[in-house]
Amino acid sequence: MAREQGGAMAALRDLVGAFTPLAVRKLQTEIDDRLAKIPTHLNEYGYDAYGFHPDAAKRSLLPTALLYRYYFRAEVNDIERVPEGRVMLICNHAGQLPFDGAMLGTAMVLDAEPPRICRPMGEYWIPRIPWFNVFAARSGTMVGTPENCITMLDDGEAVMVFPEGVRGMNKLYSQRYKLQRFGLGFLRLALETDTPIVPVALVGSEEQNPGLANLEGVGRMLGIPALPITAGFPLLGPLGMLPLPVKYRFYFGEPLHFEGDPNDEDAVIQKKVDVVKSSITRMFERGLAERPGIFR
Amino acid sequence: MEKVLITGIAGGQGRLLTRRLLENYEVCGVDVVQWKGHPRGVEIHKVDLRKKAFEDVVRREQPTAIVHMGFIRGFDQGEETRHDVNVRGTKQLLDHCANHGVQQLVVVSSSYVYGAFPENPYHMDEDCPLSASRSYPEIRDLVEVDTLCSAFIWKYPHIRTAVLRPVNVLGRYVHSMAGRYLRQRPRVPSVMGFNPMMQFIHEEDVSEAIAQTLERGLQGVFNVVGAGEVPLHTAIVETGGTALPVPEPLLRRGFDFMFRWGISSNPSGMLDYLKYPVTLSGRRFVDATRFRCLFGLPEMFDSVRQ
Repeated sequence: MAREQGGAMAALRDLVGAFTPLAVRKLQTEIDDRLAKIPTHLNEYGYDAYGFHPDAAKRSLLPTALLYRYYFRAEVNDIERVPEGRVMLICNHAGQLPFDGAMLGTAMVLDAEPPRICRPMGEYWIPRIPWFNVFAARSGTMVGTPENCITMLDDGEAVMVFPEGVRGMNKLYSQRYKLQRFGLGFLRLALETDTPIVPVALVGSEEQNPGLANLEGVGRMLGIPALPITAGFPLLGPLGMLPLPVKYRFYFGEPLHFEGDPNDEDAVIQKKVDVVKSSITRMFERGLAERPGIFR
Repeated sequence: MEKVLITGIAGGQGRLLTRRLLENYEVCGVDVVQWKGHPRGVEIHKVDLRKKAFEDVVRREQPTAIVHMGFIRGFDQGEETRHDVNVRGTKQLLDHCANHGVQQLVVVSSSYVYGAFPENPYHMDEDCPLSASRSYPEIRDLVEVDTLCSAFIWKYPHIRTAVLRPVNVLGRYVHSMAGRYLRQRPRVPSVMGFNPMMQFIHEEDVSEAIAQTLERGLQGVFNVVGAGEVPLHTAIVETGGTALPVPEPLLRRGFDFMFRWGISSNPSGMLDYLKYPVTLSGRRFVDATRFRCLFGLPEMFDSVRQ
């Protein structure tokens, strides 16, 4: 019985495969090839120590890769500046939903040479959400505790951080390309683990879903970190959270090396953080001057 | 020849440890149940750790070392008895160690003391706080025991005391929470939408770890980690079961109901261990002993399957 079901499923898969557009099939092959190039330490059951599973990642990468290639038509500049070994990618955060994180991760798989898995340091509530927590773990996400970040960097992995957090994600349209306050934790961790920081500027995401207001107080009463009001949300319901088809342009900066005491006063750390911020701001200026338009 | 006294010697782990230690040590033990057919030359005393008779055993046997693993790990005998035996029994044992010239103490605690929480980092080290009682108050006695013994290290530095925190133990002889859970097959209830990474260690490797702790005279607190980790559902399938995902509110009520009426002996607090990862770093122990486990995950799962 089980075998018959398995056979039926396989036949169904073949049928779906026959009608899948060539572009999608090609993209899946490309993802498979790129992932196969990434060295990972897997046990006899195909998992790494943190629940990452390349086969599951292959499947979850297809939708994001489709968005990356055909929706946001992402363009990367100077991605070869990302050094080998442990590295921290620090990127601006915007657009109401974290498409920027997914796209930066996809860029590192599809357009970096050699391809790399970039570990997102996720929010603390991710493990509480049924199903989503499993999906997140299988595709490489970890809870963003300092301990996890240090473990990853010590293992020589690439970690991406959005130090603006929700302050950036739910910023208003009038604040686009104005970096919000950065958390300081990432720089302390970089100092502690002697990790180079690559600033990344993403031009495009800041216009994908223009925020008109943010009813934080109401949001907090509902138990969510923000309640953005945008042109489409909550007017169109969940559909209103979808991003406009803006063009994503990634700019990778020169790696920055910092030295000092990771437990120094906030003011001292802040000076170093400002160096990272100004590097991103400079790349914003370049990107905004270069681009022919928001959507092309 | 040095003499080792094992508490809880008649349990599966106690028996395996006895066999491992007999080559190099004289072994005696205490337990509340009999061990029929125990190896010749091993004296078994049937006493309660809380009673005066236990002190007499320590006084008479004059052990150089004690391995403490005589804990009640289930809830069949009621929460109060469990708490009293585990905490007061341990307190008495520590006093006897201090008063009767015991030179070395190994306490077998567990990885459960850290607690299962969504914000747990992977590969926690020994300095992580022991927060189990926050979500699983029924096992606060294990945390108290661990804390008592860790404090003992500082109070009596001349007694070489080691607290071992092994991850989920699997094997043919040992009665562990993880083993009991997986042996509910063919259908093993799990929390719908959750599938955390879990670490396992084979019972023989735990014996080896205890033996090496004794031989090297370790002092301190050590996580003891086995061959690796897999998602819970993989462990269920590999031990011959099928996961039966149940929505959490239903599962929690079911557990509470069955626990209250004595149908099952698992409080609902244990469900968090089926939702969130509790994975430990065993680096400190490996650095101190060069311990390498002998049994891989497939062998551990086979031992449960049979």
